[in-house]
Amino acid sequence: MLKGLVLAIGFFVLFLVIHVLLFRLRVPERRFRAMVRIAFALGLVLVAAHRATSSEMGVLPPAYTTAGWAVDLLNSLLVYTFLFVGYSMFYFLIDRGFSGRIMIEIEADPNNRLRQSEIAARYSIEMVLRRRLNEMLEIGRITETGGCYRNTEKGRSAATMFAFVKRFLQLGEGG
Amino acid sequence: MRGLEAGSLAFGIYFLLQAAVFHSVKVSRRALVLGGLWVAGLPIYGWLYTALPDDQAVWPAPLAAPSDFVTFLCGALLYFFFFMGYAQFFYMAESSVGVRTMIELASEPEKGLTLEELTQRYGYDWMLDRRLRRLIHAGYLIEEDGWYRTTVRGRLAAALLSQCKRLLRLGPGG
Repeated sequence: MLKGLVLAIGFFVLFLVIHVLLFRLRVPERRFRAMVRIAFALGLVLVAAHRATSSEMGVLPPAYTTAGWAVDLLNSLLVYTFLFVGYSMFYFLIDRGFSGRIMIEIEADPNNRLRQSEIAARYSIEMVLRRRLNEMLEIGRITETGGCYRNTEKGRSAATMFAFVKRFLQLGEGG
Repeated sequence: MRGLEAGSLAFGIYFLLQAAVFHSVKVSRRALVLGGLWVAGLPIYGWLYTALPDDQAVWPAPLAAPSDFVTFLCGALLYFFFFMGYAQFFYMAESSVGVRTMIELASEPEKGLTLEELTQRYGYDWMLDRRLRRLIHAGYLIEEDGWYRTTVRGRLAAALLSQCKRLLRLGPGG
């Protein structure tokens, strides 16, 4: 199982390097889609690398490399996928995190302090909603006609599912 | 497979348990309950791992792994990763502005809503106040006479987020 773990971590690090380089050189228009594509392509290379290399890869202790190839590969893909999912969480926190933005705005103030009304003035509800609406338009969850936004079929399904989860887990209106 | 089976089963039990807790009790400290239940599930993972048979007894050779430390660790990692993935989904349902917007739009399927109408439906003061209270509770901010300041922890978090935003050229975001 050790080979799969090592390959998963190695390919995830490679993903991070490519992702950072790409975003440094040219920010893609649809950023998260670009990340998913890089991760998927590297996942395919991971499978090939797993099948092409010996179980010890020349360096690993033989005691921990006796697992069957299929379970090792399955474990490797699971770890790689979940590392990507975990990183996506972090990425969205950086990119969209509202709480992070609040702290950054406070830090950017010359006196390092703000009132709630000042935070609201620097980052208005219109800005918050406009950004989310544009993202949802891009991924086809809503449409816009004459300034009116409506859910698409995809958006309706997501809204129904999340409304159920919110109700079932008693999460309140949220947002 | 023994580790992966134990990790998946332990998460299945965790998932049902937290769903039952959140459904039956209105939880105010959600992160604490989510994380606490996960920690409480760790011994269950250990017990499941011990109770399951060796791979060699049930699985064909390509799917069989020895019952060693690495197999145990991989199962525990899977239990952790499932939890992280679920936490992402949970907080998306709980706090996402996008999700809330779709739910608001679902209430007007034919007519739809304009940006102004959506803005009116959203209590921005409430939304901001909720975030500020959470940041104070988590030790990132302090509030004095209506002024909000970052703590050392908040400054570090803000600096890290700013650096990452710059590194990835993400703009101000939020």
